[in-house]
Amino acid sequence: MINLSSVFKSFNNKSVIDNVSFKIKKGEILGFVGPNGAGKTTTMRLILGYLKPDKGEILIDNLNPVEKRIEVLTKVGYLPENNPLYQDMRVDDYLSFIASIKKASNIEKIVNEVGLKEVINKKIDELSRGYKQRVGLGAALLGNPEILILDEPTSGLDPIEQEKIRELIKKISKNKIIIFSTHILSEVEDIANRLIIINYGKILYDGAKPKGKGAVEKLFKLKIKKNL
Amino acid sequence: MKEIFIKELKQALNNYLGYIIVFLFSLFANFLFIKDIFVSYSFSFKGFFLVIPWLFLIFIPALTMRSFSEEKRLNTIEVLLTLPVSEIQIILGKFFSHLVILKIALVLTMFFPVASIFLAKTYLPEIIVGYLGLIFLAGFFVSIGLYFSNLTKNQVVAFLSTILVTFSLVVISTDFFANLLPRFLINQLIYFSPLYHFENFSKGVIDLRSVFYFISATTVFLFLTIIDLEKKQ
Repeated sequence: MINLSSVFKSFNNKSVIDNVSFKIKKGEILGFVGPNGAGKTTTMRLILGYLKPDKGEILIDNLNPVEKRIEVLTKVGYLPENNPLYQDMRVDDYLSFIASIKKASNIEKIVNEVGLKEVINKKIDELSRGYKQRVGLGAALLGNPEILILDEPTSGLDPIEQEKIRELIKKISKNKIIIFSTHILSEVEDIANRLIIINYGKILYDGAKPKGKGAVEKLFKLKIKKNL
Repeated sequence: MKEIFIKELKQALNNYLGYIIVFLFSLFANFLFIKDIFVSYSFSFKGFFLVIPWLFLIFIPALTMRSFSEEKRLNTIEVLLTLPVSEIQIILGKFFSHLVILKIALVLTMFFPVASIFLAKTYLPEIIVGYLGLIFLAGFFVSIGLYFSNLTKNQVVAFLSTILVTFSLVVISTDFFANLLPRFLINQLIYFSPLYHFENFSKGVIDLRSVFYFISATTVFLFLTIIDLEKKQ
């Protein structure tokens, strides 16, 4: 379980996360939405222990991600924003490197699951954006983590690739906690079972995903308008 | 640490820049060794060993400048720091991989020293201790290079900062500074110069104070890099 209680974070005296609290249980797929600079990436980095909160407490299965960084990170798979990868490495070398750190033995399964078989011996910088995203997602899935944090997993992809990544996320979501941020609200409708809307570091909505086509977008616009 | 070490080594071996640096280093070192032979028809290991630190001043910063600055520029540092691996392991993995590359470069300088064993009377411990000193010195310079590479996204800034600091440390033990600064100041400053400590090794002498100096100075810079990496979070 992920538990954030009254978390604050600021950079250069500018508040980025302002009193954020929420809990996420196993099986929940959380769509994390908000405008650019709303605090989505910072919240994700705080959960990972990559950033330290100024105030408040974050617990991942009762472990503090800053104090128990290694233990927490063995439970988490992370796809960072813009999917940074070692471009000069081959796909198999990159996945083997991540697997060796995560002590993971499921490389072959992941390669098949995310569809990397045909490019496994290629250099990462020779891959299309879609394949690069699959490499990043594959790396996040190595070691079968209980928690998946995906920062804009479909950003910059064409609609066909977006659909493929979405299907992949749905396929792997069983018995996991998945947090994904996105600007594509239909993605939330498609994948998530819970929604958090954030702006200026404050949570504007935290609850079940509203039902019906376009309902997420309607709610998002309403909440953001009120917050302006 | 092993995983980072292997990854760094593989990346260096897949990169033409690493080969160029190692090749040029060994080329210059071998040239500087044999050039005196044809002038004076004799060779000196002491002279050879004392010239290598000056080559290190250029080649080590060129090798270490990418370490963290490139990770930061491409944001792969976020990938590393969100894997179950500690900052210490990351830094030591990078440190030892650079040291191995430099050891390869030093092995390539051994052709003439080894040949001299067969061609002339050579005091073998002098060569072994000299190379040991070079490894200590390389380790110290690598730790400085990693520290500055971690401070900036810009490789050129990392390169120049490392040169500036290593050069400053080296020159304080030269005659030029001895004549320039008051004696009491030089007597204090000289202890901080890696060249001063390396001179013992170049004579074939292992001075434990110099071993302590290199180990502690290297540890200080590696420790500062760890602190800085943690602080940025």
